[in-house]
This record gives sequence, C-alpha cells and structure tokens, in this order.
Amino acid sequence: MSFDSTYTKELPLVESKTSFSEIDNVIAAPMESKPGKTWFLLLALSVTMLLFGAVCLGLTFWFGIGLWGNNQPVGWAFDITNFVFWIGIGHAGTLISAILFLLRQRWRTAIARFAEAMTIFAVMTAGIFPLIHVGRPWLAGYLLPYPNQNNVWPNFYSPLMWDVFAVSTYLTVSFVFWYIGLVPDFATLRDRTKAGIKKALFTILSLGWRNSNRHWQHYERTYLILAGLSTPLVLSVHTIVSFDFAVSVIPGWHTTIFPPYFVAGAVFSGFGMVSTVLIFVRKVFHMEHIITVNHLEKMNKILLATGSIVGYAYAMEFFIAWYSGNPFEMFVFINRAFGPYAWAYWTMISCNVIFPQLFWFKKIRRAIPVTLVIVILVNVGMWFERFVIIVTSLHRDFLPSSWGMFVPTLYDTGILIGSFGLFFTLVLLFARTLPVISIAEIKAVVPGAQPTHKHHTNGQH
Amino acid sequence: MEYIKKALPDKFAKTGWILLVLGIIILAAAFAVDSRRAFFDYLWIYMFMISIGVGALALVALEYLVGATWSTPFRRIDEFLAAIIMLLVLMVIPLFFGIHDLYHWSHNEIVSGDAILQSKSPYLNMNFFTIRTIFCLVVWLFFFFMMIRNSEKQDLTGDPRLTKRNNIFGTAFAPLFVITLTITAIDWMMSLEPHWFSTMYGIYYFSGTMVAAFSVTTLFAVRLKEGHYLDPKINNEHYYSLGAMMFAFNTFWGYIAFSQYLLIWYADLPEENFWLLMRWEGSWKFVSIALIFIHFVIPFLVLVGRSQKTNPRILKIMAIWLLFAHALDLYWLIMPTYNNAGAPLGWQELAFPFLVTGITMVVFNLRASKRNLVPVRDPKLESGLNFHL
Repeated sequence: MSFDSTYTKELPLVESKTSFSEIDNVIAAPMESKPGKTWFLLLALSVTMLLFGAVCLGLTFWFGIGLWGNNQPVGWAFDITNFVFWIGIGHAGTLISAILFLLRQRWRTAIARFAEAMTIFAVMTAGIFPLIHVGRPWLAGYLLPYPNQNNVWPNFYSPLMWDVFAVSTYLTVSFVFWYIGLVPDFATLRDRTKAGIKKALFTILSLGWRNSNRHWQHYERTYLILAGLSTPLVLSVHTIVSFDFAVSVIPGWHTTIFPPYFVAGAVFSGFGMVSTVLIFVRKVFHMEHIITVNHLEKMNKILLATGSIVGYAYAMEFFIAWYSGNPFEMFVFINRAFGPYAWAYWTMISCNVIFPQLFWFKKIRRAIPVTLVIVILVNVGMWFERFVIIVTSLHRDFLPSSWGMFVPTLYDTGILIGSFGLFFTLVLLFARTLPVISIAEIKAVVPGAQPTHKHHTNGQH
Repeated sequence: MEYIKKALPDKFAKTGWILLVLGIIILAAAFAVDSRRAFFDYLWIYMFMISIGVGALALVALEYLVGATWSTPFRRIDEFLAAIIMLLVLMVIPLFFGIHDLYHWSHNEIVSGDAILQSKSPYLNMNFFTIRTIFCLVVWLFFFFMMIRNSEKQDLTGDPRLTKRNNIFGTAFAPLFVITLTITAIDWMMSLEPHWFSTMYGIYYFSGTMVAAFSVTTLFAVRLKEGHYLDPKINNEHYYSLGAMMFAFNTFWGYIAFSQYLLIWYADLPEENFWLLMRWEGSWKFVSIALIFIHFVIPFLVLVGRSQKTNPRILKIMAIWLLFAHALDLYWLIMPTYNNAGAPLGWQELAFPFLVTGITMVVFNLRASKRNLVPVRDPKLESGLNFHL
C-alpha cells in the first residue's frame, strides 16, 4: 500500500538549504552591521512622532486633560481607546509564544521573538494611557494596595483595579518569557563578539550559558512552565479590560459576550500588527527563507478565524440588543450603525469582518502586497472598534438633555501619534540590538535538525 | 502493519439495546404520569444527543480543517457517533408536541399580554422556530452525509482527492457549526425563559458541546484500544492530545461560565439576574455549587499535569466524569424552568442516563458492524499512527 504524502508532509519551516552558521550570520547581521539610511530615516520619523506626542503630553500635564476633547457625557475617549488598542496589540506575542507552543505549532519559532518583543513594547505603550487619563499621574501610586499613612486603599471591586494587576503581571511574565528565550541567543552572540562593552553585556545577559545538556534540560522545562503560566494570561488580560466596560450598566457596554469577544479581537489586532511589521522585517533583513510565505499564510488563517469570531460577536450583540426587548439597548445599536458615528461603525465592520474574509482564498493569503493592505486595515479597524464601543455608547446618555458629541483635539491626536512613535521607536531599536528571530529555536526546526520518528516503509518520503 | 477488523462483542450491542429499551420504557411511563416533566426530561436528552452527535461531526470537520494527523486513527469513532444526527431528525418530532409545555412564548394569549414577548415574536414564533430547527438539521445532515461518505469511500479507493474534498466540507462546516449550534442553544434552551437573554449563551453551549464531544471520543478511544480494536501502533502518547483538548475546552467552559456569571452578578440588573436567582432557589443552590466543582475545579486539577493526559485509565475516568458534568450542566440550564423551587430528581430523570448511553451504544454498534474502525487508507493515517510527543 502506498500513501500519498501530500496531506501529511509538513512544509519545511525554513526554506532552502540552510546551515547553522548561515542562520547565525543572517540573524546576527542586523546587529553586527551599521544601520543603513532607511533605518535612520524610519527612526527619525518615529522619534519625531514620539516627540510630537511628548509635547502634547507635556502640555496636558501642564494645563490638565481639559485640553482633550473629553467632555460630559463622553468621559472616556481617545485615552481609553488607545489603551485597549495597545493592550490588544500585545496579545499576539503571548498567543504565539505560549499557546502555539503548547499546541506544538513549530512554525511559531520564526515569528515568536518579534511578536514577544512587540508585546512588551505594546504593553508599555498601553500603560501610559490609564496613567495620564487619571489627570494626576503623580498620585497613581495609590493604585497599588499598600498600608499607607492616609489609610487609602484602592477599590478592590473595580475592574480598573484588576487591570493594574492584570497588566503588570502580563508585562512581567511576558518579559521573563522573552528574556528566558533570549538567553541561549545571548550566548551565541557572546561567542561571536570580540572583546568590548558588547561582549561584557552579552556575557552578563547570557548567565553563563554553555549549551550543555543540563542547561538545555532546565531551559526546556522552564519554557514549558512559563508557557503554561502565560496561557491564562492571554485570556485574563483582555478579559479584565473587557470587564472595565461590561460590568457597568451602560447599554452597549454591558453584555456577557464581551470577555471572549475582546480576547479574540485582541489576538486579531495583535496578529495584524505582527504581520504588518514582519512583512517589512523579512524583506529588509533578507530573512524571506526563515519567515516564509507559509508563515504569513498561517498568520492570515489566524486572522481569518479571529476576525470571523469578532464578526460573530458583532452580530450576536446586535441580535441580542433587539431580542432583549430593551429599548435602550436597541437604540444604542441602531445609533451605532446609523447615528452620527456611523462612519466609524462601518469602518470597523468593513476592516474587521469584511476584508479579512478575502483570506478564504489561498491566492490572497499568499499574496504579500494584498496581505499587507488587509493587515493594515485590520489595525485601523481594531482601533475603530474600541472607539465605537467607547464613544458611541457614551455620547447618547439616558436623557436627551445630556447628549453630546466627541471631537478629538490636536492633543488627543498628538498623543495617539506619539504612542505609535514610541512603539515604532522601540521596535526599530530592538531590530538592531537583539536577534529578531530566535537563533537557537530556528536551528531546531531546520530540516534534518531533529531525529525523525517516521518509520520509512518505502523510499517515497 | 495491516489493520485487521475485529467485530465488537455481542455484549456491547445487547447492553446498548437493553439500556435503550429501558430508557424508552421509563420515558413512556414518565409521559403517562406527568407529560410536562417528561417533555423537559426529553429536551434534556435531546440537547445532550446534539452535543454528542453534532459535536462528533464537528471534530471530524475540525480534523480536516486544520489538517491534523494525530486524530486520524480515532476519527472513525466520531464518524460513527455523528450518525446520531440521523436519529435527531426523529427525536425532534415528539418535542414539537411539547412546545406548549416547554415554551410559554408559544401561547398566543400569554404573548398578547406581555409587551416584551410581543416585541420578540418576530423571532419567537412557531413558524420561524420550526424553520430554524429544520435548517439546523438539514445543515448537519448534509455535512454528515458528505463528509462521512467521502471518508468511507476512501477505505475502498484510497483516493487522496477525497481528503481534499473533505477539507473543503470541513472548512465550510466550521462557521455553519457555530451558527447552527448558537441557533439551537438560543431556540431550544435560552427561550425556555423568553425574557432572559445573554450574548454569551451560544458560546456557553458550544464550549460544553466541545467538552462532551472530546470526552466521548476519548472514552471510546480508550475502551476500544483496551479491547484491541484499534491499530496496535496506538500507544499512550496518542491520547495526549485528546486529554489536552478535553482539558483545554473544559477550562474554556469554566472561563465562559465564570465570565457570564460575573457580568450578570456585577451589574445585578433585574432583567438578567433572575435567571441566576432561579438557580439559587431551594436545592438548585446545591446543583449550582456542584456544577462549579464537578465541571471545572476537579477536572482542572486532575487533568492539568502532563502525565495524566497520557494515562488511559485516568483519561477514561475523566471522560465519563466530564460527560456527567455536561449532563449536569444541561440539567442546570433546562430544568429550573420546569421546577423553580428545587431540583427535580425522581425516577423520571433515570430516562436520561439509560437513553443517552443506550442510543450512543446502539448507534455506534450499528455503524461499526459494517465499517472499519480505522480509516485504513486515509493518507494521513500513517502520520497519525507514528505520532510522538
């Protein structure tokens, strides 16, 4: 009996014949060469954006958040939108490094490091927003529960409080996970680097890694445990972010589907951002044979799945708003779709639900320019999703006398631009200072690196 | 290694038929005594059979959709169990006679005096309800026939194009599965309390269905292996993924259940919280608390480790445990509408265990008697058999 191997053969995770030293060279190249003009140009752009945001933020500190467009009834607007957006961006990293690891998806190795780094940067960016939104960020220390002289305790019933714990835990665990994965790579870099500060730094950071069997044993065990610990974090962080809205009794916010819907949306937006960045990285750093089209296709499949889950949630919310028979719920949803913010709503629907449906077609999944357009639309759509949820639910209060509109000011927009500036500055610095792909892990998935368990019955395979 | 088909023992079929007949007798007696209660029991049975039958078909589809190979040696179990879908068509008919006992939105005189029910009547009315039920059954039947036919044809021809065709069917079924399951959950269970609503409800039932489907697959996989009916190459490592999936979806259920509970509890709106308060009346309190431990805490603690997921004995016990948990969950969802004061538990409810095990065993046996227990010429089988952790 002969089997057709078309359906069982795994596509090679690293294309072309690649030697271990070639992998070292390719991945270490961005760190060992002087950055080109493009990189400096991009960095200049990012830093300019960052500085613009910093100026807007400085003025906000000086004059207060009255500079923003927030008002009554729209008390939450760009700040919380940006917070949720950036937290969401961070979700791809943990999903890739923890959940895909537990599910034995070996293709994750090529994209895990970058996604994890983006997680950390995104969470750092996100963390700014709740702090500045409180208006007096120098008092934010009271968010941490500690026995102080004033006997001031945070409100433990508030999901905003849970956010403090969830996000800081997430940042810590993501960072530890990222660093553990970097240790073998630091050792490789240490051995490649000639004496100097760089060598000293790599020596310290590699924690005396010698690639011994025992080291690897400990490493693998730690990695597995951290993956197990991070998995609930993928769910918990955005679940709690969704609680910020869903525990309230505001129509449009209070609905039970919010937790899984937010998590799916977060993974969706995270993959959108990872894809956006990696499409450039693989090109610029000549890593097309490591981050292959197959990787992008698989990410597109995840985008299709999560985008459809988000679509299910939109539909469900709309249906139940009608089914509930609650006139306030009904009004909020009809107002979302046809009210003054209808443009934002339909941007969200088309970017998050309609365009990703193109990924049903294999040709489109594998077409990189089309993918790039769609993933950028996903980023846009997911930002608008949070905007729609927050602003449209608030701008029509229960009494028509307290209806309002939200119009962003220069400072709102400036801080949003600044957050992108911060994120991309960090990404650009990372791309030049640390290995953007795990050197050690990618070596393990090169064809021929692992003993195969396949019993060869005939010479076909 | 060639697979040699071994017939299931007569005892299996006999036990199945005895349980089935006993179940029917109990149910018939229950109808004779108190038809309203019997309809609720019957709905409970029907929903459980959807979980098993449609859930099994979803697992078949899922394997094709994601291109999994580890599950190929076990796929026939789900293909056989999916045949329950054919029986669902028959099983649903008696339920239509009980619509008035089960759903008070079906009484026109009640609806006309209730503004909320009136506003819902474009959705909750007999015609549309029937259309939706038929739609769901047609979708399930169609994909059942297409996918199972292709898979069985492959046993004879070994044509790999059949796998490709099933990849398409599996992919198309995935969204339809979620949509039909949501419709089923809202129509047959959520509308028992027509004033109540929860956007999470469809996902809640979905998560329970997946737990039940993976559990029943695991149970059969372990039992069949113990009796040497499956390929001898299957070893303990093959069970790892089954255990992991059971664990993952059960934890997912816990997450969904907790989220739904917390949001309703926290907002404490009378239009929502009465549904939970109903489940806190009298002895329902104990069912609610038991559900937390039986469906989540205990399975979580037992299955969290790696060695448990490769231990067939533990997996077998946990599979039965989780099937019981899913039954308890459905009981908790359905029965409070029948009796709000306390959990009804009498001889009538015995129809449930007899019938669900009876139907499952009989259907499995009927399907297995003429078919291979292993998809012998599936191109993915070899890779599945050579699975290593």
